Amino acid sequence: MSDAILDVRGLEVSVTAHPEIKIVRGVDLVVRPGEIHALMGPNGSGKSTLASAIAGSPAYRVDGGQVFFKGEDITAWRPDQRARAGMFLSFQYPTAIPGVTMVNLLRAALKARRGADVPAREFLAEMRATLEQLKMDESFARRYVNDGFSGGEKKRAEILQLGMMRPELAILDETDSGLDVDALRTVAEGVNALRRPEMGILIITHYQRILDYIRPDVVHVLVGGRIVRSGGPELAQQIERNGYDPILQELGLTREPAKAGA
Amino acid sequence: MTQAIEAAGAEARERGEPDWLATRREDAARAYASLPAPTPALRPWRYTDLTGLDFASFAPAHVPLQVTGTLAAGGYAGSLAAAGDREVVRTHLGSLLPPTEGKFLAANAAQWRDGVLVHLPRGAAAAAPIVVTLDASALAQAAIYPRLLIVAEERSEATIVLRLTSGDAPLVVIGAIEVIGGPASRVRLLIDDGWGGATSDFTWVRARLERDADLQVAALAIGGALFKQTVEVELAGEGATSAIRAVALGDGTQHFDFVTLQDHVAPRTTSVVEVKAALAGAARSVYYGITRVAAEAIGADADQANYNLLLSGSAKADSDPVLEILTANIVRCGHHATVGPVDQEALFYLESRGLDRRTALQLLVAGFFHSVVGELPLPGLAEQLDDRVAAKLATAAL
Repeated sequence: MSDAILDVRGLEVSVTAHPEIKIVRGVDLVVRPGEIHALMGPNGSGKSTLASAIAGSPAYRVDGGQVFFKGEDITAWRPDQRARAGMFLSFQYPTAIPGVTMVNLLRAALKARRGADVPAREFLAEMRATLEQLKMDESFARRYVNDGFSGGEKKRAEILQLGMMRPELAILDETDSGLDVDALRTVAEGVNALRRPEMGILIITHYQRILDYIRPDVVHVLVGGRIVRSGGPELAQQIERNGYDPILQELGLTREPAKAGA
Repeated sequence: MTQAIEAAGAEARERGEPDWLATRREDAARAYASLPAPTPALRPWRYTDLTGLDFASFAPAHVPLQVTGTLAAGGYAGSLAAAGDREVVRTHLGSLLPPTEGKFLAANAAQWRDGVLVHLPRGAAAAAPIVVTLDASALAQAAIYPRLLIVAEERSEATIVLRLTSGDAPLVVIGAIEVIGGPASRVRLLIDDGWGGATSDFTWVRARLERDADLQVAALAIGGALFKQTVEVELAGEGATSAIRAVALGDGTQHFDFVTLQDHVAPRTTSVVEVKAALAGAARSVYYGITRVAAEAIGADADQANYNLLLSGSAKADSDPVLEILTANIVRCGHHATVGPVDQEALFYLESRGLDRRTALQLLVAGFFHSVVGELPLPGLAEQLDDRVAAKLATAAL
């Protein structure tokens, strides 16, 4: 599997502040260049926790298993090392950072990703091109990061960063949540516009509707912290029609109660 | 220092100062001799320990203040000593900060040599900022006594920038700044402290604002060993408004002590206070502020905030906001205070964009400080502040 971008092996994750709360209970997942994987599951199944743990969030603790990124074991890496290596997490709830403009964030992020200062002119040209690609106004870049942004603006700001950072793995954590149909289409079209053959995408979603715009190659269903089923795009359509219950019943699983924030 | 102060009057006459001024210096010198040293038993001195400072070992020194900026006819921005025969100086100098009030103010009143007067006549608007530069970097161990008198007459307007720098030698700074805000005047004052690492700064800023006058004071406290700044505003005329903003960036054993008083005397007056500190190493910050609303000050609107970011486990901050409200008829009278580490979610967000922890903190602290720039019409100030924050945090103990 040397060509895998992401190779998650037997990953077990708990909450750092409450190690007794085990959320991810042994996940295996391989994403290759150009592939789009959708990770679906009911509320509280551990989808966002898995995304955060792959990105290295200190809020979560890896209790077992490994994460390989481009062939390297990054399980112990800090989040910034992972990002510089080419991993990008689009947050479900992007954090507001008053006083820090999008421009300042993008410049610092680009400098970190490339390991060198990006000349101002070059940076501005790239930013303008990406803004245009995403049909975003330039005034957006002068605003404070996510501060006072609408739900749709926050998600577009994430995709703007994705576009500038040019990662090799993009994890989109519920990028569709809180968006109306038009905003969802704009964001999804943005993601499609930014696709590159060398980039893998992992889309975390509760609903199938974003997958109407971004077609997955593989769909995984996460229940109780484990991937219980993987299949093609038809699996997502089946979930859209019938919900998760038929899968749970088939597996002899009862649906677990939702965990806040998981 | 004592002997030097006693000789202050005679020296002033020798220099050719007007008799009234020399007499005032003598009075100030006597006040200095009789007043007790500040005691840590009482606020506002509770949080700053002066026992390590041997004031006797700091001989008075003088540093010329450079003033740039031009004013309309009848205005003045230049040496205070050279303006000693002007009526405006005789009327207002020491009117807000009398030497009898405390030992430090008495020392300043007796000893100031290089002061600056900014006099804005009725209706005058300074087109560009008036920049007052004090560069003490060439001094050996000494004490300096900067004095600034700002008299803004009715409907006048100016932005005044005070740039302070010193070298590595131990320096005691005892400063006094008076702002006379005439009706509907607008004064913006930026105090930009670039002190060296062994400078102890004790500065008082006091303003009296008449009807509809507006004052914004912003302080950038980045250098220095000990920084104690008192900013007091008397909102004496109806509709007067003031904003006091300050940021402190500490590392090592730097100590910041901010004292503010927003004294709402007249009806429908508005005050804003926002003091922010970000502290690395074993730095410490203290804020003690009083919002006072007199019985007559109906419709007052006061908001007092003190936010502290602790960037290391050894940094410490205390907040002591006080409200004294003597009327129930107010719009708002609030205070907020926080002490804690940076927002961990914001830190992870930035780290997830590839920024190492230090770079992320540089960005977060610079952002935290941005509000100090407020509405100051100083292009480039925000960027300069970002750069200074980044430079200091590049080596700070986080």
